[in-house]
Amino acid sequence: MTELNPIIALMFFPGGIFVMLLGLLYVWINRKLRARLQNRVGPRWFQPIADLFKLLSKEEIIPEDANPTLFVVLPVLALAGVLTAALYVPILGMKAVHSVPGDLIITVYLLSLVTMCIGLAGANSTGRFSLVGVTRTLTQLFSYEAPFLLALLSPAIMAGTWQISEIVDYAGGRWLMFTHPISFIIAIVALMGKLEMPPFDAPEAETEIVGGALTEYNGRGLALFKLSHAAEMVIGFALVTALFMGGTTNPLLWAVQTLVLLLVVTLIEVLMARMRIDQTVGLWWRYGSVLAIVQIIVLVVWQRIVL
Amino acid sequence: MNNGNGNKIANKFVVPIGPQHPALKEPEHFEFTVDGETVIDATARLGYAHRGIEKTAESRTFVQTLYMMERVCGICSHVHATAFSLCVEKLAEVEAPPRAQAIRVLVAELERIHSHLLWLGVGAHEAGFDALFMYSWRDREVVMDILEALTGNRVNYSANVLGGVKCDVTDAIRDQILTGIDYLEERTHHYYDVVTTDAAFLQRTRGVGTMTKEQAMRLGVVGPTARGSGVEQDLRVDAPYAAYDIFRVNRVVEQGGDLEARFIVRVKELFESYRIIREVLDNLPEGELTARMPRRIKEGEAITRVEAPRGELFYYVRSNGTDMPDRVKVRTPTIPNMASVLHLAIGHQLADVPMILAGIDPCFSCNDRSVRLKSAGGDDVWTWEKLRKYGIDYYND
Amino acid sequence: MSVTKIGTMFGDVVNGLFKKPATNLYPFERREAPERLRGHVVWDASLCTGCGLCAKDCPSNALDMIVLDRKAKRFVMRYRLDQCTYCAQCATSCRQGAISLAYDQWELAALTRESFLSIYGDPDDIAEALAAEAGEQTDEA
Repeated sequence: MTELNPIIALMFFPGGIFVMLLGLLYVWINRKLRARLQNRVGPRWFQPIADLFKLLSKEEIIPEDANPTLFVVLPVLALAGVLTAALYVPILGMKAVHSVPGDLIITVYLLSLVTMCIGLAGANSTGRFSLVGVTRTLTQLFSYEAPFLLALLSPAIMAGTWQISEIVDYAGGRWLMFTHPISFIIAIVALMGKLEMPPFDAPEAETEIVGGALTEYNGRGLALFKLSHAAEMVIGFALVTALFMGGTTNPLLWAVQTLVLLLVVTLIEVLMARMRIDQTVGLWWRYGSVLAIVQIIVLVVWQRIVL
Repeated sequence: MNNGNGNKIANKFVVPIGPQHPALKEPEHFEFTVDGETVIDATARLGYAHRGIEKTAESRTFVQTLYMMERVCGICSHVHATAFSLCVEKLAEVEAPPRAQAIRVLVAELERIHSHLLWLGVGAHEAGFDALFMYSWRDREVVMDILEALTGNRVNYSANVLGGVKCDVTDAIRDQILTGIDYLEERTHHYYDVVTTDAAFLQRTRGVGTMTKEQAMRLGVVGPTARGSGVEQDLRVDAPYAAYDIFRVNRVVEQGGDLEARFIVRVKELFESYRIIREVLDNLPEGELTARMPRRIKEGEAITRVEAPRGELFYYVRSNGTDMPDRVKVRTPTIPNMASVLHLAIGHQLADVPMILAGIDPCFSCNDRSVRLKSAGGDDVWTWEKLRKYGIDYYND
Repeated sequence: MSVTKIGTMFGDVVNGLFKKPATNLYPFERREAPERLRGHVVWDASLCTGCGLCAKDCPSNALDMIVLDRKAKRFVMRYRLDQCTYCAQCATSCRQGAISLAYDQWELAALTRESFLSIYGDPDDIAEALAAEAGEQTDEA
């Protein structure tokens, strides 16, 4: 809806505050579902908001050897990246606020910006655990990024365009996940890698390296990183829904689709043990990329020869 | 040798684990020198949970010392108390009645179940497998309720007195134990399945921390850690104490030598414990619960060795004819196993280190002992006053 | 060597979703304490003979027996529940069964230190015992 004033779209709805609140809701659903699956009670509905307020009210302590400007600016940059990505992705059944040719690449790049900000923040912290965490974060970034992009590429190749709204038009209400099954699965699993959810949570393995790259973060910086993680969750699910589950126009159906994706992701999260970083890289480079490429080849062959 | 940001000498890097770290349940300090993600050196510094319990034994009577020794460890508290009671009974030449010995075995096996279920959860948590952690700890509540009904407390059972036990087994408690054991056995079959077939979990445990039989014997490891490498050593079979000569135990030994073998050994020991408990409850001998113990114990020294859930526990007690012990010395199983961790960690990835540490089932509060400080030109042995003054001066500088 | 599966805890996890959570919502739900639970120490003065074995055997010196008159059976017992380890050695040492550990008094947290000291006995006996102790202290001081 390009009639919507872009400032309002960026700050309040559907980007900005709306996406952050929706993200906090999704984080709560994830935690509550995870608790119930483990036969526990789980937090009450306002827990993520309460965590956020608590963090915002604490003093921010900057490590002695860190660059203070970078320390303070990087969380803001991460949040800004995610909120900008919200402009290009169809949320809640409405068309994307802005649509430019090539915005699929822009969105994926903005989502990687968040991970790179986390990596830089950890490197800036100069603590021992942070440095190990940074190595793992960046290694994981390089391993799942290629299959993720290849998986998102398959609807793009079929539609012949890099623009999300045109891909959605090409889908025209059909659910592409049935014709691109492998890409769909790879996109979901790579999304788990991007969000650092188990089994791919080696970068923030609490029993090995305390907090990973964000070990030294506290107060306002940590609150902003958590917010950007929550918003990233919404944007990631929205992207996969838009490309593979037919661009819907019904808000309720969109909500149901993303919640089903969240349920599937949480189920996988609970069932698996954490993978070591070298096992993650091995998995992605051996199976992930190969399968994605195979899927693309099959589809191209189908399109050129059969049709 | 470290400054605040980690010492980097040609890509080497020291990662400290502890004393405060989410991987450890109790404080200890380990330093792993890593090159990228591979560990190339490991050192440990112990002593964070030292409380001077052996020292308190010198100023308390035998009856009071029993309770001090029980609190050396929370999870193996009953075997500590049993070992101490057996030692003192040996010194006083008193034999505890058969019913008391059988109840000691019963509580010891229940404690073994408690300890192994706790360890299963902790091992799973170190691997990032929180579902197994939560479910095995939920099932641990069953055995803790049984122990509470039988002895009166969920941890630190205080079932022993010098000369026997304090708590008897009634019919209602017997039924509660049998129902609980049936439920736990069913769940343990399921956990055995998970530990041996879950692909993600096996990726973290198969082939990790492999120790051959020769290495195990050279490093001197004890308990399930040694039995996972093929060393056939179980004190309940080799040197039976309490009622273990009547209720026979089968050794559980695996040949794999890696973490998976240690998981399997402990889960199979759970099955063995269920069988022993049922046998004890069926054949509980009649009789009284305590034998008369004199207040003043004869002069002499005695040793006992018992099989704690973690391995061989060794007690030495020396008495001088009064009602206070002269010296009590405890050697717990985690000390020899700790040395093996430092050895095994070299060559593995940093991510494997918490798993290897959890694989020996560490009980840090057991294994802290005092260290002799060699100061230039000072006395060889420090008195209590001198140590206290040293501590005060250290912080005043 | 053996078959490996993915997601072996699937049955547990899905069942857990539909079962009541295993958490005991204390303090809204309180479970029954078993009868052998070792709680607050309770002293029955009528059975006591004043031998003092309970105080001697206590590992943490939580019990204090003050004997005013053994033949007339006037005893005062001082119990510090913040030093007690709830081991029940006193109950075992007493041959008359005068000491036991109550199983229903286990919620013993309090906000002040003074409430942790309990003095048992006849009120006149208590006053006399405390006066005698204060006198001894002023004598020593």
